[in-house]
Amino acid sequence: MSPSGELLASISSALAVAFVFLACVELGDAAAAVSVYRLIQYDLAGAPLGSRAAVLNHHAAVLPLPAGADLSRSALVAPLLDLPLSFLREYLVEKKQLGGLLILLPTNQGDKDSADDKGQVKGVLTELEKLLVHEQVPYPVYFALDDDNFGNLLADIHKIASSGQPASATTGGYKLVVSSAEPRKVSSPTISNIQGWLPGLKGEGDSEQLPTIAIVANYDTFGAAPALSLGSDSNGSGVVALLEIARLFSRLYSNPKTRGKYNILFGLTSGGPYNYNGTSKWLRGFDQRVRESIDYAICLNSVGSWSNDLWMHVSKPPENPYIKQIFEEFSDVSKEMGVSVGIKHKKINVSNPRVAWEHEQFSRFRVTALTLSEMSTPPEFLESTGGLHDTRESTDVESVIRTVRLVSESLARHIYGLRGRNIDVFAENSSLAINPRYVRSWLDLLSRTPRVAPFLQKNDPFIAALKKELSEHTSDVHVQSDALEGMFTFYDTTKATLNVYQVASVTFDLLFLLVLGSYLIVLFCFLVISTRGVDDLINIFRRPPSRKLKGA
Amino acid sequence: MTVFHFLNCAFLTFGPHVVYYSATPLSEYDTIGTSIKAAAVYLGTALVKLVCLATLLKVPENDSFDPYQELMKVFIGFIDVAGLYFALTQLTHRNISQNHKFQAVGLGWAFADSVLHRLAPLWIGARGLEFTWEYIFQGLEANANLVMTLSLAALGSLMWLRKNKPRTLVPIIYACALLLATMPSITSYLRRSLEWQTPKVVGFELFSSLVMAFISWQLFSACQRPM
Repeated sequence: MSPSGELLASISSALAVAFVFLACVELGDAAAAVSVYRLIQYDLAGAPLGSRAAVLNHHAAVLPLPAGADLSRSALVAPLLDLPLSFLREYLVEKKQLGGLLILLPTNQGDKDSADDKGQVKGVLTELEKLLVHEQVPYPVYFALDDDNFGNLLADIHKIASSGQPASATTGGYKLVVSSAEPRKVSSPTISNIQGWLPGLKGEGDSEQLPTIAIVANYDTFGAAPALSLGSDSNGSGVVALLEIARLFSRLYSNPKTRGKYNILFGLTSGGPYNYNGTSKWLRGFDQRVRESIDYAICLNSVGSWSNDLWMHVSKPPENPYIKQIFEEFSDVSKEMGVSVGIKHKKINVSNPRVAWEHEQFSRFRVTALTLSEMSTPPEFLESTGGLHDTRESTDVESVIRTVRLVSESLARHIYGLRGRNIDVFAENSSLAINPRYVRSWLDLLSRTPRVAPFLQKNDPFIAALKKELSEHTSDVHVQSDALEGMFTFYDTTKATLNVYQVASVTFDLLFLLVLGSYLIVLFCFLVISTRGVDDLINIFRRPPSRKLKGA
Repeated sequence: MTVFHFLNCAFLTFGPHVVYYSATPLSEYDTIGTSIKAAAVYLGTALVKLVCLATLLKVPENDSFDPYQELMKVFIGFIDVAGLYFALTQLTHRNISQNHKFQAVGLGWAFADSVLHRLAPLWIGARGLEFTWEYIFQGLEANANLVMTLSLAALGSLMWLRKNKPRTLVPIIYACALLLATMPSITSYLRRSLEWQTPKVVGFELFSSLVMAFISWQLFSACQRPM
């Protein structure tokens, strides 16, 4: 290499090092860098809903606010329990302008919080979510987990706010900055259904299709913050129960001597929050003979926090012979377990697009179906879909185990014709016992995984994990993917990094400039006097007139 | 930091050098060349110090005050004294008296030191939004550093350029020069071993620089008097 080439290479490498250094310094610039989760942004039949902005660049303000405060250029920072919903409803319904909103969610404090506190948090979160999800919010709304950083930040902002005027460019304070691109539409959101079979035992002379019993659970969630929609109870508990039932029956069906004369179909469906859109597409994709062979379907929905009462929701009248038989089977097992199963009948209004329970999609295809749920009334649209309030603490492993036992025993008695006999197929301490560790580990996994369908790819590792687990217990497992119904449009940017800067005021800099100018003037005079004398200092101001006179 | 604040801090850091040059007779005797040469000598000295620090010292695993390492730093700090000696005695000057010579050298030296140590952090800090008092304290430190350097240059001028010194003042001159040369280690000791906060350290630097400036001025004036 020539000398000039070497010089150029060294200069360019030095510049590269300098740029890398500058880039690294930029990262550690803010007083705090916090992960925040954005309120969902979506269109429903063309109507814009949720948070319609993502970029945040405002000074921070905290409650309580001074009277008549203008928040149009402030980002309000509020812990969840300090944020009155009436205040928020006022700002939303009356379309009052807010620069931004940062809601601090309480973290799990373990045993420190009492049950009353948890209930209060859950209730406030439910109301907040209901309010935010169904309104159009023109400013950015973010959620963050409350920790010590925010404690210090809130104390400092309180100190500034107590001086009487909110933070702005002239008074200094804290500035919240979220730099993110403009949210874009999620192109072709997909819903993926996973199914597996346990084929029944065919007799030698049987030429007919064996009857099928379907166990179905919906696995996706919807919430105010898609990145925080974990859905432990709705419907993580249902998914876990289905997996355990599949594991138990796979052991029975793996032995020809204990294989039943029923096929068992397991389905993990998506699109549940959106009127069970995925279930509808899954059923439509069935072969007609397969669909007609389904004796009945059991849908599991929110079975993780019941203690004594479980509800069986049906669309056919309870007097129907099929429904009556299934209900009696469940009642027999529930009596032995010491719990009660109630039946709820809700007729389907075919003209109403709202689908409240998953079994209604089966009923629309004339398949007998029911939903087991701890909820006695059907949830409203986009509610009880595994949002912010549905965390691991709200789900009980014992509750899921009770569900598994109830469904498994009822199913076994139906399949093997054991009704009336005092046989416990899945007795504790037997080889077919329910495994609490299995239930707990899967429940923990589902309670850590946000599962909002438009943000799950077709090849998402979570879907692959569900498919793999179902493959362990059933055969002919495959994933059916379809497009989400066009009525919904979703936008990305569900997570971001919030930078909190402490900024000075212009007034401070003006005062600093005055002090600095005075200092330099005093320094100048002192140096002139000490080195040249007072006469020279005076002469500095006399010399120009003499020069002017001389020039004239 | 806003651009306004950046300009304020830059003004605080580099303004006193310009004020000193324009207020004193240095501007009339055209000593800018000497200052530039002194700055160049400073850069060379800084490079030598950098190589010595990288070669002889090991990176401390914790932030404790290691006496051996600090002693090595003191010895490496004397390279600054050697650099000042070179700047005061070896540079060619055109009809500049000793009074203006040491001031020009000290001013160039201090300006180069501020540019090398404080311009880059100031520029990097200006690109962020965060306000911090750090840059104001850096500017104040630059002021203290200017006074210290001028005092050390004055004493150096007495030690190496003036022949007829009062015999009784020679030990005092050498003691003060030694104290000024070890001032960086003293501030490092205060900061790390005694765990002084930045405002306290900067206050100490300003106070001690004024005291040393007064003493140096008195010594310089005493040596000016005819025997």
